[in-house]
Amino acid sequence: MPTVVLMDSSLSMTRPVSVEGSEEFQRKNLAVHGLTMLFEHMATNYRLEFTSLVAFSSLWELLVPFTRDYNTLQEALNNLEDYDKTCLEAALQGVSNVVQQEWGTSCPCQVVLVTDGSLGIGRGSLRHSLQTVKQRVEDKRFPLPFPFPSKLYVLCIANAEELQATDSMDNLEQLINLNGGEGQIYTMEGPLCLKSVQSMFGKLIDQAYSPFHAVLRCGNLTSDVQVFPRPEPVTIDEEVDPLPKSVQTDLEIVGFIEIGDISSPPVLSRHLVLPIAVNKEGDEIGSGATDETEEETSTNQMAGKSPNFCVLLHGSLKVEGMVALVQLGPDWFGMLYSQADSKKKSNLMMSLFEPGSEPLPWLGRISQLGPASDAAENPYGEDDSKSPFPIQPKNKRSYAQNVTVWIKASGLQTDVQKILRNARKLPEKTQTFYKELNRLRKAALAFGFWELLKSVAELLERECTLLPDSAHPDAAFQLSHAAKQLKLASSGDSKYAAYEHNITPMLTDFSGGGGAERI
Amino acid sequence: MRMFSVSHKTAFVVDHCPYMAESSRQLIECDMLTKSRSQGVIPLAPVSKSLWTCAIECSMEYCRILYDVYPTMKLVNYIVSDSEVHILNSWKQEDQNTHELMAALAAVGPPNPRQDPECCSVLHGLVAAVESLCKITEYQHESRTTLMDTAERVANRGRIICLTNAKSDTHVRMLEDCVLETIQEQNKRAAGSDRLMPIQQCELVLVHIYPQGEETLVSDRQKKELSPVLSSEVHSVRSGRYLACKLNVLVQQHFDLASTTITNIPMKEEQHANTSANYDVELLHHRDAHIEFIKSGDLHMAGSTSRDSGLKETVTLKWCTPRTNSVELHYCTGAYRISPVDVNSRPSSCLTNFLLNGRSVLLEQPRKSGSKVISHMLSSHGGEIFLHVLNSTRSTLEDPPSISEGCGGRVTDYRITDFGEFMRENRLTPFPESMVDAAGRTPVERAKSQLERHTRYWPMIISQTTIFNMQAVVPLANLIVKDSLTDEDVLTCQKTVYNLVDMERKSDPLPISTVGSRGKGPKRDEQYRIMWNELETLVKAHVGTSERHQRVLDCISACRSKPPEEEERKKRGRKREDKEDKTEKNGKDTEEKGWTTDSERLKGVMEREKDEPSECEIIKDSPDSPEPLNKKPRLATEEQQPPEKSKGPVSLLSLWTNRITQANSRKHQEFAGRLSSVNNKAELYQHLKEENGMDVHENGKATR
Repeated sequence: MPTVVLMDSSLSMTRPVSVEGSEEFQRKNLAVHGLTMLFEHMATNYRLEFTSLVAFSSLWELLVPFTRDYNTLQEALNNLEDYDKTCLEAALQGVSNVVQQEWGTSCPCQVVLVTDGSLGIGRGSLRHSLQTVKQRVEDKRFPLPFPFPSKLYVLCIANAEELQATDSMDNLEQLINLNGGEGQIYTMEGPLCLKSVQSMFGKLIDQAYSPFHAVLRCGNLTSDVQVFPRPEPVTIDEEVDPLPKSVQTDLEIVGFIEIGDISSPPVLSRHLVLPIAVNKEGDEIGSGATDETEEETSTNQMAGKSPNFCVLLHGSLKVEGMVALVQLGPDWFGMLYSQADSKKKSNLMMSLFEPGSEPLPWLGRISQLGPASDAAENPYGEDDSKSPFPIQPKNKRSYAQNVTVWIKASGLQTDVQKILRNARKLPEKTQTFYKELNRLRKAALAFGFWELLKSVAELLERECTLLPDSAHPDAAFQLSHAAKQLKLASSGDSKYAAYEHNITPMLTDFSGGGGAERI
Repeated sequence: MRMFSVSHKTAFVVDHCPYMAESSRQLIECDMLTKSRSQGVIPLAPVSKSLWTCAIECSMEYCRILYDVYPTMKLVNYIVSDSEVHILNSWKQEDQNTHELMAALAAVGPPNPRQDPECCSVLHGLVAAVESLCKITEYQHESRTTLMDTAERVANRGRIICLTNAKSDTHVRMLEDCVLETIQEQNKRAAGSDRLMPIQQCELVLVHIYPQGEETLVSDRQKKELSPVLSSEVHSVRSGRYLACKLNVLVQQHFDLASTTITNIPMKEEQHANTSANYDVELLHHRDAHIEFIKSGDLHMAGSTSRDSGLKETVTLKWCTPRTNSVELHYCTGAYRISPVDVNSRPSSCLTNFLLNGRSVLLEQPRKSGSKVISHMLSSHGGEIFLHVLNSTRSTLEDPPSISEGCGGRVTDYRITDFGEFMRENRLTPFPESMVDAAGRTPVERAKSQLERHTRYWPMIISQTTIFNMQAVVPLANLIVKDSLTDEDVLTCQKTVYNLVDMERKSDPLPISTVGSRGKGPKRDEQYRIMWNELETLVKAHVGTSERHQRVLDCISACRSKPPEEEERKKRGRKREDKEDKTEKNGKDTEEKGWTTDSERLKGVMEREKDEPSECEIIKDSPDSPEPLNKKPRLATEEQQPPEKSKGPVSLLSLWTNRITQANSRKHQEFAGRLSSVNNKAELYQHLKEENGMDVHENGKATR
């Protein structure tokens, strides 16, 4: 989940904070202090997160495009200049553009807005924007909700009382509501000082940037892992089950499936599974994703040398071309597989399926998947030539069962022509002739299209009269027999018009002999 | 989409009154004479469908598309109305297919034009439809049962699509009023029943059908709320293709469908096998397959065009070669079932057959300029075709650290092939719904418990194990992990053990002996001891499973008790034995104790020099325990020592020096200083420090 930091650099941010201490801070200094803390946290614990920095006043500017280089971000933050008034709408539109250009509209993003809570006056102020939000034309729509899934975190370098004194708090709340309730407003508690800004950013870090640690388990083989990006809770049907489902910290492998059998399944999200070394105090000492200080290098080297289940699993999944089915929670599953980033680098990746008992129709219910060795006969065959997947649905789809559709005249004409073509090749084509005839008969009966049955009967009778002298005598018998049967069906007489009834070839002295007797 | 939205239940009400037998006045020429045969033959008069036939085939087409895209959860109840009500199916899932409906329709037959029009009405059908919407479906029942105390969350909504020929706007209003009244009535009844649910929301879609060339008597009307429960809309449509088009639009609206046209499909011509023309095929599917286009406002950029009456839009995607193979795992964000718009046209059936034969096609977004973007894939699974949405934007996971850079990344002798074999043995397969074992476990629970059994003893790297490198152990290793053993299985295990005993007697080399430096007789004893210990560990892990598993362990314990000649040898080499015992114990206990004293550490190192397997033993029991601190320096000082991990060939000189060192080491007691040395350096006069009041715990050893 990439992050956009949207930093208010309007003049009001330079207001000094009144503190009794010796140093004098601007609100901007506090904001920079807080963001520094956030960047430091990400650099150590959330290193793979892409972050960009946008500064805004009446205009907005992309200071740092999406990067994992937190030094660059920090540098840009330190060199931030001061500009004029606050104009949030344009800035949010900017964020929307920046994100869409980089990640499209399906990638969830987090927007961290840092402001002092003075949201401008007059045109371009947030108040003005919100008042006119309903009177927009299509191309000047308010940027919220963002077209991509998002969380909007508003960090105010101000305390709640201050914001409530004006309508700033109301406006910010309205902003979150416009984003579908996705987001949160953070305010400072107590006096504006370094300590309270730390505690505010600390809350954001806990809420949005705490790494997800779990234990990957395959029977008795286990490994401590970090899952990145953090899997977010999912709600499928608010009405029936309003509680969002979360991925549990115990990831249990239930079995293995060939890549060809799982067959590019649709997934909610993808996550890296990084093995981590956990020492006795339970602290993480290096996930490969963290910055390696000198001290960590040795511990990392140690960790690198002791066998880890993730590496074994990854290696075998890659070699065998298989995936591991993993349980994420009650009735929720995902898959683990080897993902190659380039020819050299590859990784253990986890994809989450949609929660539910049957996320993939071609696997059936997951709870009904059991060990192949329990089956009476090896479902994969003795030489691995077979597979129990995909599961065949009970009914075939229309395109797999030769349905009859006559909505376009051409559909009907094609079917009639098929019968006539076969009629001219009787008796060789007797089977196909009756098959096509019965198909037409069934459809005509279902559609109540008796007129068609009569017409086709007449056509067959005419074909009978047009038969050349060289024709096989059986052809004439079959044609008049078929025509008679169609006429009977068109009468609606239940004896002849039964849907499941089939017209069968007439038994003649010639039938069975085929064309062989002809001289 | 909510599970129990309005589209969960659709009641079709088709008017079967005498006026529906009227001709649609759309003529179809079915006598297509070929030129050569046309001479002297008078073509037959064209046929024309009745209003009824038009209504039926269009509603069947609606159902066909619906069942293709939603084989479950979206249910249709088909009702035909004349002087009475004919209910052709139920909400049951097994009744939901066009074949059943066609058979039932054939039984009803076309309307009888001679029936008394006075006693016929579509009203009967509408009343029946409301009653039917009150009936609970299997899905509603199941959800209510699982939700228990929050069962009220299961909603009851539905839609009534009425195909009729109304007389006037007043007539239409009368029908609407009747539906509203019936809903109110039925809701009261339903409140007191288990099998019925009051209707919370109902959409009435009235489609007035009139013959071509006539003026309509009924006006179109947009959706309008008649009450909080009922909304209604009126469509006045000419029969024939206009009606077909209308119902196609409706099915898309009702079930959130969208259209994609696959363009540039190369297809072999029947007549000219060498040439191929390019065709287009239009498919319907859930509109979420276009979500990326919709959200980014790119619908037009993606090649969307308005067609026909301007009612529908379709997104054009280009057939893309080369095709993809099935063993590639694409990052796919959605997969949606499709239904071809023109199901039995030649291009459609060519495309669907191609896919049903197991091939997949990548689809490309046509762009005026720039690089090609592959955004979708068509693929079939079990006879169903899906449109997969592929991620075509930048990935947030790009350039991740390689797994070899992380924990355990530098270990090179993982048992990759063995674990691959393990995965194959633990592949999953579907079991029928009723398959629950004696303990009441579902198949997936059995799969988990099998994984647990199979991993009770599973060393991850080659140098941690002897037995899994031995072909001779395979039969036992495969059997012992099983949930239950037969007598025959026990016999096989015992044979394996006897076989090992035999190997030991013959002093067959063990696979481990190829590793590191080697000696002759005594060495082999040691190898076998390690092998037996490991085998015991494996079998002990399963001994609780059943009495037969216990018998296998008993067999091992009985067989490995030393034969007499070995007993003798043991006495002769008592001194050495002692040392070995310590090492072995050491290996076992490292987990708890680790390396505590320097002397033990030294012995361990010496043992390893002499005998590689014991090193393996040590790692095996505690892969995570810290390595001896002075291991590396010692190795560095003894240049002849081959690097243990590389297992390269051993030089004659190192063999010789090792042997001499070993022989010598047995002849004298080791100097105390050397025993407590670090990097072969021992601190002298340690007691002085102590006397000066300094605590001496260097090297982890108190010299007191």
